[in-house]
Amino acid sequence: MIARSNSDARLARWLVSPALVVIALVAIFPLGWTLWESLHRHDLRLPWIGQPFVGLGNYVRIIHDPRFWGALGHTALFTVVSVALELVLGLIFALAMNRAFRGRGLVRVAVLVPWAIPTVVAALLWRFLFDSQAGIANALLMQTGVIDKPIVWFVHAATAWVPVILADVWKTTPFVALLLLAGLQNIDSALYEAAAVDGAGAWRQLTRITIPLLKPAILLVLIFRTLDAFRVFDLIYVLTGGGPGTSTEPIALYAFNALLQNLQFGYGAAISVVIFLITFGLALIYIKGLGAGGAAGVEP
Amino acid sequence: MLLIALFASLVFATGCGGETDTRPVITYSGSAVGSQGETVRRQIERFAKMHPEIVVRVQPSPDDATQRHQLFVQWLNAHVGDPDVMELDVIWTSEFAAAGWIRSLEQYSPTRGDFFPAAIEANTWNDTLYAIPWYVGVGLLYWRTDLLDHAPRSLDELVSQAERAMRASDGPPYGFVWQGARYEGLITSFVEYLGAFGAEIMNDSGDVVVDSPRAISALTFMRDEITRSRIAPPEVLTWHEEETRFAFQNGNAVFMRNWPYAYSLLSDSSQSRVAGHFAVATMPAAEGGHPTTALGGAELAINTYSEHPEIAWQLIQYLTAPEQQLERAAATGDYPTRRALYDDPRLAKALAVPLDQVRTAIESAVPRPVTPIYTELSGLLQVQLHRALTGQTSPANALHEAARQMKAVIRESGLDEREVATGSFAPAASVIPAKAGTHVRAGLDMGPRFRGDDGGGAAR
Repeated sequence: MIARSNSDARLARWLVSPALVVIALVAIFPLGWTLWESLHRHDLRLPWIGQPFVGLGNYVRIIHDPRFWGALGHTALFTVVSVALELVLGLIFALAMNRAFRGRGLVRVAVLVPWAIPTVVAALLWRFLFDSQAGIANALLMQTGVIDKPIVWFVHAATAWVPVILADVWKTTPFVALLLLAGLQNIDSALYEAAAVDGAGAWRQLTRITIPLLKPAILLVLIFRTLDAFRVFDLIYVLTGGGPGTSTEPIALYAFNALLQNLQFGYGAAISVVIFLITFGLALIYIKGLGAGGAAGVEP
Repeated sequence: MLLIALFASLVFATGCGGETDTRPVITYSGSAVGSQGETVRRQIERFAKMHPEIVVRVQPSPDDATQRHQLFVQWLNAHVGDPDVMELDVIWTSEFAAAGWIRSLEQYSPTRGDFFPAAIEANTWNDTLYAIPWYVGVGLLYWRTDLLDHAPRSLDELVSQAERAMRASDGPPYGFVWQGARYEGLITSFVEYLGAFGAEIMNDSGDVVVDSPRAISALTFMRDEITRSRIAPPEVLTWHEEETRFAFQNGNAVFMRNWPYAYSLLSDSSQSRVAGHFAVATMPAAEGGHPTTALGGAELAINTYSEHPEIAWQLIQYLTAPEQQLERAAATGDYPTRRALYDDPRLAKALAVPLDQVRTAIESAVPRPVTPIYTELSGLLQVQLHRALTGQTSPANALHEAARQMKAVIRESGLDEREVATGSFAPAASVIPAKAGTHVRAGLDMGPRFRGDDGGGAAR
């Protein structure tokens, strides 16, 4: 018996080993290498300094780098604002799509269109929309009398955020709506009937039944969207390039800048490690929350 | 559009030499799209026919300069032997030379005197020539001959001319359009204003002087064009070369700062509303400065790890020979780097821009700072210039901050300017031999040092 189960275990180990090797190659090895790089001063353009080991020197430099803290702030701002908007709008869309109406299937597909467009293309599209001369945004605002002369959106720090956040909300709200819709469909309609009998209005049904039972889906959305938003790169790279100055530069763009424009591999690796640690921490927090929420969700 | 071109050009051409072919193979890599690519391929094919004993390959690399730079640096770090001949942007030569990635050309006794001095200066590191100028680009002031009767003789006159033309009934909405987005083009614009005010980014001994009072005046002047005299629309702060060309071409601007490539496009009446109604001049100066144009262009250099440097040199000589430069000028509008060609009637026929209009511009061209860490310094400066121009900080604060950061980067790079002054080069010399002693390092014995741009003196 014992020998038998030992050989089973050995077989099992052999069977999972290819998967483990792949994970080690594509996830752990690059991560380890990045960590190692981050402990060195390695600048491709200054080969004469070699690659001296500097310990935590790159991390100390990060702490004293105002551009890093600025980028972190921009990333946090972008994440909070865009994820909050996406959650609210996504919930509204999901509730609407959950009702029975003619052409519901078509609407559900149509809503996904922005999500299906490649980010770079979407970003270029929004750049045109917010062009100061020919853009639709200014034309609309001027026709409705909100402004009397065109806004040069990408020249002011505050206004440059508008197209960035709108583009992200436009693009990812459908994804949020679909995830929430799946959650809505798991809610037993008998609960609403009972609530209606007890005299609960629509708002009370939403806050007492829908949102509590949707908690697992909401947490899932928050995990996906927060981690995605925190690593935002392509959208801002195309839309503003991080400008004006560096006032819309997110942390991932700064890391890219250090790594691939300035070719400071050591410092860029250190920034990447910091991004990894932050997203990893966020994921841990959410998974804890999701575990609790998931348990509550399966209760009858 | 740019991205598509980029990806298209990223597709590598793979050679298909026969297995039994033992002829030496040399590879050229550079921009290979459009008329430039066609011309280079044609010229390289002719070179290959003249030398049946060798195989020449073209390895296209991204047309976007930043992307090509990144790719080249990665290859050279890995000590890859091909491409043998590389097309470098004018601002990379010192970086590649200091890193030991390209060969000194001194052993081939290049004829410096045939080329424009500013272009030679940009390719010289530690008094050693590392690349041959292939073509030059210079910043030009395009002005409307239907709105003005003469080119401005000073920056103040430029402003008053622009204001007057804009005020006229159905005058153009913009006075002056230039490249103000946060990218290398902003530095070229800035360098021209700096020279116009008698300032520079770095002086001859390599000190960062970009926050001098005159430099602050130059940046303040640029900002005032947007916020005070309003001859430049705030949109220029998001514009690259093409956006300014569209504005000028549609008749929406009195003046435009741009490179020579725009001339033939603007002269094409099927797409340009200003065809026949414009001319070019050199950017005017303010009091205490001199008319200055930024030097752009491409250089040809030999990879240090090339197995066939002699053949590579032959190819460079061929591509930069007068005949090939004339052919290129006719096909692409790129300016030859050989001074003598400007007396050649064939060049006048080949180029759209009247030679007399462009010649003074080339003669007053200045290189951007010749330093191995130029791109990093430029990146820091771009951010601060853009902050000042978008009103996030004052010109003085922006330039003080830029100077502080640039000095810090220079200090950390091991290229400290004091080493230059004393003539010793301790920090690098102690590291290189141990680390990279096995490689051919042409620049090693001299050691890197700083050369500032000289504010135009050398161009005359």
